[in-house]
Amino acid sequence: MSSLDVALRRRSPLVLVVDDDPDILEAVCDILEGEGYRVARARNGREALVRVDEERPLLILLDLMMPVMDGPAFAQALHRREDHEIPIVVISADGDPQKAAALGARGFLAKPFDIDALLAEVASLAPAPACGATRPDA
Amino acid sequence: MGFVAHELRNPLSTALWSAELLARLAPEDRAGARGEKLSNMCLRALQRLRLLVEDHFLSERLDVDGIPFKVEPVRLREMVELLAGKNGVTATVAIDEALAVRADRGLLERALEALLAAASQGKTPVQVEVSPSSEGVAVRFRGATTPPGALEVPNKGTPSDPTGRALSLYMATKVAQALGGALTSSEDGYLLTVPPAPAAGPETP
Repeated sequence: MSSLDVALRRRSPLVLVVDDDPDILEAVCDILEGEGYRVARARNGREALVRVDEERPLLILLDLMMPVMDGPAFAQALHRREDHEIPIVVISADGDPQKAAALGARGFLAKPFDIDALLAEVASLAPAPACGATRPDA
Repeated sequence: MGFVAHELRNPLSTALWSAELLARLAPEDRAGARGEKLSNMCLRALQRLRLLVEDHFLSERLDVDGIPFKVEPVRLREMVELLAGKNGVTATVAIDEALAVRADRGLLERALEALLAAASQGKTPVQVEVSPSSEGVAVRFRGATTPPGALEVPNKGTPSDPTGRALSLYMATKVAQALGGALTSSEDGYLLTVPPAPAAGPETP
């Protein structure tokens, strides 16, 4: 990775992806990294609260059904804190957008959503780096 | 049906995305590390889908129409050891080698495979033993447990199970009933009861 790439990546928006399914987590992160985003991962709401404190993401992609702390409980906990301005997009196998609206989410994507729909939703809330993608493993 | 659709959506998503990402890769990159990762992800998702579909299909068939099956004496220990080995489950099997039950071999295999997977959860060693029962042959699987009610209502069990076993205990319950037995959960695992094989008659010279 060149020094320009490193500098660009440091300026890339950080997206926190929260999902208990390890393959979904891996796939969504792969998609976002491919577009130049930095990603943080959490497998439940409790882990996500820690990641929010540590990494201050610009956007959170949130599953609803998870063990330990589910999506609604995480959103409630987040709204009680000063970080409530971080936008949430719900990504769920539950096809009911009302549940996302009830959490105050800014967007809703029902799995299996299109890759381009995910990227459009993310870009509207956390614009991607202007200079194109550089994969972290490149 | 809603729960089944919900369970199918996660692996379906992973399969679709990984296949699409693979298709978007330049041909020369498909053989690289990322291509391999995406191929493995796609394969895992499809295997998970297959398990979910097969368990759902068998449960529904047993529920709605029943299925024709062939009942025969099946040696329990041999089958349990074979399935544990095939599925990478560490199991201590304390069953008399000659003990046989009366069952359809294919159906019993499906139920035993599900129980070994549920009791091991991928890592816990499982103890399989036969305990006395007036109802038939009672096979106890000691290991990981499941929440109450999960045998009858699958969404109380392990929703979003990444191995695709979310419907397996429900299926095993239906199989046990179809074979004339029962499946229950306990504080240390599961108890499968199946009819014994008829005692062998005197050997003819």
